[in-house]
Amino acid sequence: MPTFDVQQFRQQFAFFQQQPEWVYLDNAATMHKPQAVIDAVTQFYQQYNSNVHRGAHQLSQRATTLFEQARSTVASYINAQHLHEIIFCSGATAALNQIAFGLMHTVLRPGDRILLTQLEHHANIVPWQLHCQRFGVIIDVVPLTPDHQLDMAAYQQLLQLKPKVVSFSHISNVLGHIQPVADMVTLAKAVGAITVIDGAQGIVYQQPDMQQLDCDFYVFSGHKLYGPTGIGVLYGKTEQLARLTPIFAGGEMIDSVSFINTTFNKLPFRLEAGTPNIAGAIGLSAAIEWLQKYNNQQIVQHKSLLLKEFYTGLTAIKAIDILSSSVHNAGIVALNVDSEHPADVAELLNQQQIAVRSGQHCAMPLFSYLARPGAIRCSFAAYNTLDDVNRCLLALEQAVEILTA
Amino acid sequence: MTLEQLLADTTPALLDIQQRDLTEIKQAKDWQAKYRVLMQLGKKLPAIPEKMKQPELLVKGCESRAWLMHYHDKATDKHYFVLDSEARIVKGLMAIMLCLVNGMTTAELCQFDLCHKFDQLNLKPYLSQSRGNGLTAMVSRIKHCCG
Repeated sequence: MPTFDVQQFRQQFAFFQQQPEWVYLDNAATMHKPQAVIDAVTQFYQQYNSNVHRGAHQLSQRATTLFEQARSTVASYINAQHLHEIIFCSGATAALNQIAFGLMHTVLRPGDRILLTQLEHHANIVPWQLHCQRFGVIIDVVPLTPDHQLDMAAYQQLLQLKPKVVSFSHISNVLGHIQPVADMVTLAKAVGAITVIDGAQGIVYQQPDMQQLDCDFYVFSGHKLYGPTGIGVLYGKTEQLARLTPIFAGGEMIDSVSFINTTFNKLPFRLEAGTPNIAGAIGLSAAIEWLQKYNNQQIVQHKSLLLKEFYTGLTAIKAIDILSSSVHNAGIVALNVDSEHPADVAELLNQQQIAVRSGQHCAMPLFSYLARPGAIRCSFAAYNTLDDVNRCLLALEQAVEILTA
Repeated sequence: MTLEQLLADTTPALLDIQQRDLTEIKQAKDWQAKYRVLMQLGKKLPAIPEKMKQPELLVKGCESRAWLMHYHDKATDKHYFVLDSEARIVKGLMAIMLCLVNGMTTAELCQFDLCHKFDQLNLKPYLSQSRGNGLTAMVSRIKHCCG
């Protein structure tokens, strides 16, 4: 089997030709788009643009076919059992909001409990908080071990409180740690909980198999899988999607309306109010088809090589405080320069055209737990090279030198 | 520590920045030199003690927090400020901003165009960085003091 050719892979991204001087290590925030995605979106607008599911003309039928093909591509990529289990939405945040809102009253009642983890970003905390407060539902939180991995013993104890819903990230957006999601789902199911996986960071690391994983919901954003922004997927098992009260109403989700009562359309349309992001869905589908030309195992190996080089280089720089563990890591490293504010470090990297994120990464509860004001986050993707790693290390060294001068 | 003491320490520091450091920043031969000066500026200003950092003084940036204290001398109609930030580069930039406005009258402060001044110092990019570093939030907080 030929090895992964990072240069060939990287050449598919016009961005790197346009901005050759930049080292882009902010992939956990959003990824760059290969030409195949840009072309698919452009082609849709230039050749087929029409609304879906309702036109009396051939153009609309063509757009509908492409849109529904996109659903089919996503469904087979994550091995969903049925096409209608793929709900298109604007992203992981929208999907989590739909789930949290949708389960209240139909599943969650006053006094019920749900279980989250200390690692979650705000999108997997605040929607729950918002609706749990209104409905009197109690939130429990799984703590971390001293090496910042999820405390599985505590997880099992908290499951004994019989939460109705357990919602956790596949991969931590701050630390990059990979959660043992399969075990977590099995344990949660044993106490009868509905399982929700936030795959915002997980989807690009691994092709998840819904039937094997057997979770009830899995959500992700297209733009973190080489796709366009504004498109995302809410996967749910048929019987669980049926329990969700729609968060948005209007458009195609409706079957019949009178001022006395409204009946809703069947899945997936019941949860896709308004005109969907047609071009986004087509772009996401193109991203998945393009990505499948590559061997994911080789990509994982390439990224772990980058990570290993990065960790080795970091140990040679003085005063670096690494928050992420190098084991069970999907390619995200959160770090600080001792006693310096991350905003200063990030600005000095920015001056050297190294793009990282700094701050609390929409995960304030995690940072108060870690007792840090924030961190800079270097997140690696398949198109990053060893040269990117070395340039980032050199830039960090220069930053440390300026800061400690 | 009182506001009076902080003001007494801030004003001469700002004068020093205005007389020495601004030229050095403008003439810096590379970004490293510019940033070395910028980070020294913050150190010249006194730090606001933790217990004085009341919530109403907080100016929130996306990545770091800053605090602004204001004193209006009604007899002369002049405005004086004290500020602090948890990030050194931001504090340096805010120090420059402060040395441009400290001691201004209400009318002067209202008319003050920070963008123009920062442009002259080759620092304008830092103002357009949206909410990131909190500088624009600090400008509007200062402007708010005279309104």
